[in-house]
Amino acid sequence: MHGEYKTPGGKLVVVDFDVVDGRLRGVQVTGDFFLEPPEALERIAGALEGLAVSEVGEEQIAERIRASLGEGVEMIGFSPEAVARAVRRALP
Amino acid sequence: MSEQVVIRAEPSEAQARWRQYRWQLLYGQAFDPPMQMALDEVLTRRVGAGQRLPTLRFWEWTAPAVVIGRFQSLRNEVDQEVARQLGITVVRRITGGGAMLTEPGKVITYSIYAPPELVAGMSFVESYAFLDAWVIEALRSLGIDAWYQPINDITSAEGKIGGAAQARRFGAVLHHTTMAYDISPERVVQVLRIGQEKLSDKGIPSAARRVAPLRQQTNLPRETITERMIEVFSARHGLEEGRLLPEEIAEAEELVRMKFGTEEWTAILP
Repeated sequence: MHGEYKTPGGKLVVVDFDVVDGRLRGVQVTGDFFLEPPEALERIAGALEGLAVSEVGEEQIAERIRASLGEGVEMIGFSPEAVARAVRRALP
Repeated sequence: MSEQVVIRAEPSEAQARWRQYRWQLLYGQAFDPPMQMALDEVLTRRVGAGQRLPTLRFWEWTAPAVVIGRFQSLRNEVDQEVARQLGITVVRRITGGGAMLTEPGKVITYSIYAPPELVAGMSFVESYAFLDAWVIEALRSLGIDAWYQPINDITSAEGKIGGAAQARRFGAVLHHTTMAYDISPERVVQVLRIGQEKLSDKGIPSAARRVAPLRQQTNLPRETITERMIEVFSARHGLEEGRLLPEEIAEAEELVRMKFGTEEWTAILP
């Protein structure tokens, strides 16, 4: 599955994943955004791994990403909400 | 310096920020694409460790390249088959932002390596405009109606001129910018996959129309633009001639071998 969302005035975020037994697997989050530190990308993708397709709306997905980030992470040109929207767009 | 250069009064606080450092200029030496990536990391580390003065480096390219951002998907951004056919090397840089096409003599690229205190208290968005303000000044002094479009674009009425990217890493700030001088927009869309979603809030139907290279906007040779940029930086912030040290080059060559020249790094996000 593949979903994209560009934050108005901001950057593009792209989400690629498979759905296995109703859950997100092999999640890759990419785009032309800025992120400090860069390693935080793994946490964002990790927060989406295993997510049940049937259960979550955009708000919950965004919250789950936010909770995974911890202190000192800066997302520039995108947000947990933007990633969540790209995920929803990837789903039928 | 030519008489045409009129340096606008900068707020003294901004001026003082730049002026608290001695700035060094690196200009003239050409490198291949993986070395450019590696030099950026080496020089950022050195400035961060206090081993090198804050530095402005102009890049000269020995070969064409597609440079993708740290967080971009290789296959989503680049048509690798076309790149191969055209002899274009694909490399990944350490900063975020979007993919760009560069060719020797057809872009103007520079990096600023600075202590983080230069942009202390500024948001990322503010710091982009702050670090490129001297470039806007230089372009305007050449009659190009350029301005900064947040987050990280240098643009004009005729279209986008270039883009910047930043990383705060290794105890320093790396800020680099590439401006199109004579890049063919057709070539860009041939090699880069520019999706419709990316264009969605720009209201521009054709990807090819997004870029307005400097040569199209002025008849000046590329060197004249670069030299004006150096004049303006020098007048605003002070600038001394510097040179790359042999050990810096050796360190970068090692980084090419271990990182920037490897598939593992370039395809870190396949």
